[in-house]
Amino acid sequence: MKKIIKNGGYTLYISILFWAILICPAYAYLDPGTGSYIVQIIIGTVLAASVTIKLYWKKIIHLFTKKG
Amino acid sequence: MITKEIIKGSFRDPSGFLYKENGVLYRQINNAYKDQYLKLIDSGLYDYLVNENLMVAHIETNLIASSEAYKVIQPEFIDYISYPYEWSFSQLKDAALITLKIQKIALDYGMILKDASAYNIQFKNGKPIFIDTLSFEIYKKELPWVAYRQFCQHFLAPLALISYRDARLNNILKDFVDGIPLDLASLILPLKTKINPSLLMHIHFHSKQQSKYSDNPVDTSKMKIPKNNLIALIGNLENTINKLHWRPKRTEWGDYYNATNYSDEAFNDKKALVEKFLSKTKTKFLWDLGANTGVFSRIASNRGIKTIAFDIDPIAVEKNYLICKNNKETNILPLILDLTNPSPAIGWGNEERDSIKQRSRPDTIFALALIHHLAISNNVPLASTARFFADLSKNLIIEFVPKSDSQVQKLLATRKDIFDNYNEETFENEFAVYFRIVEKERIKCTDRSLYLLERLD
Repeated sequence: MKKIIKNGGYTLYISILFWAILICPAYAYLDPGTGSYIVQIIIGTVLAASVTIKLYWKKIIHLFTKKG
Repeated sequence: MITKEIIKGSFRDPSGFLYKENGVLYRQINNAYKDQYLKLIDSGLYDYLVNENLMVAHIETNLIASSEAYKVIQPEFIDYISYPYEWSFSQLKDAALITLKIQKIALDYGMILKDASAYNIQFKNGKPIFIDTLSFEIYKKELPWVAYRQFCQHFLAPLALISYRDARLNNILKDFVDGIPLDLASLILPLKTKINPSLLMHIHFHSKQQSKYSDNPVDTSKMKIPKNNLIALIGNLENTINKLHWRPKRTEWGDYYNATNYSDEAFNDKKALVEKFLSKTKTKFLWDLGANTGVFSRIASNRGIKTIAFDIDPIAVEKNYLICKNNKETNILPLILDLTNPSPAIGWGNEERDSIKQRSRPDTIFALALIHHLAISNNVPLASTARFFADLSKNLIIEFVPKSDSQVQKLLATRKDIFDNYNEETFENEFAVYFRIVEKERIKCTDRSLYLLERLD
């Protein structure tokens, strides 16, 4: 149950982040480089951050289970 | 007479090019690439990749092909060239995974892949192997990965399309030489892929950002991605690809061998006849056309004959490949091919990727349980089929399936029988224009006959 909440919460968080970005209007044509560089940097940051969040979540949940 | 012929598909990368001289394949390394090549060798990356069977080996030569030459190398020869639009789901998945594995290893050695094209992979001894020795460049600290987009278009997009929609979408790769455009993949993929965080990021979000910046070029020279973030990105791509599975609904051919009309006795007799006829030929390289899951292909491959097992059905090819992997077979390569529309030559000048006919041809072809599909289902005249096979191969082991056979009755059940000339006599006459009949035997308990034909030269 805890695992479901934890994984579900993480998925929800990432999805909301990207839905928010997707709502920006798209323009016309394909470019080979710029967009892909930007995406890489953002994804890399989010993934690295999500590792930190995962650790943080564990600590929060651990804190609650200890108290409870 | 020395004959040097530059391989026409090898022009995009200024680091060097492939050429053939006196029938041998060479790769020239240009001066511009010298430092990268030295790093590849001196760092130990080359040795590691070759020892692990991840990349083709090469020999350094003293040859020079042009004034820009730093060095010419002779790469290991690949028996049969195939392209990603001919691969089944798992073949493409394995090609993707080996690319990412090599990328991770390269980073450990201070290098990085400057391209991530599916055409950098070929199959050798049944397994994917990296063939582009000049694809490595020295890793510059925090520089974004220039090949990320290409990886998504060549590997992730087609795999996701097969997994979430239909295997036939892999054919789109024939029309787009640089992989499936992400906006197109994004359009076709179902809504549930937008709930999958990884596909959302690498395909949908990626596609939107591509479009957004297409008209607004931004200075990318100062963009940075810390190495750990890049490694996290590559790790995520790897997990995403690993988690993609293909569980197809039943196709026409999925359960072929369970549904045919062969009794055990007939089936065994056919196998014995095929084996007998094959042993009368000197065959080093064989094509099994309409191979399904490779039951008959293995008669050849198990005898040490290099065998390509072609079939139109992606499920059959997939099953065949999985058997190959499971048994660690090295002599058989399953590939998807529609005989009525075989892979054409594509790319710039229609010369970058060869058509089926331009690639290595076999000594012997198996055309078992096939002719009626060409003649009846596809209206291909027997004369035309005979000419097609004669053009490709000296030896032909072919099964004639007459109208009385229940499989042909099935094909005729829903259409007008306009095939007055589809019978054994006409078959023999048409094929006699190109071949002589070396052997002919009736398959026990059937109306079918097996022929061993040899081209009249």
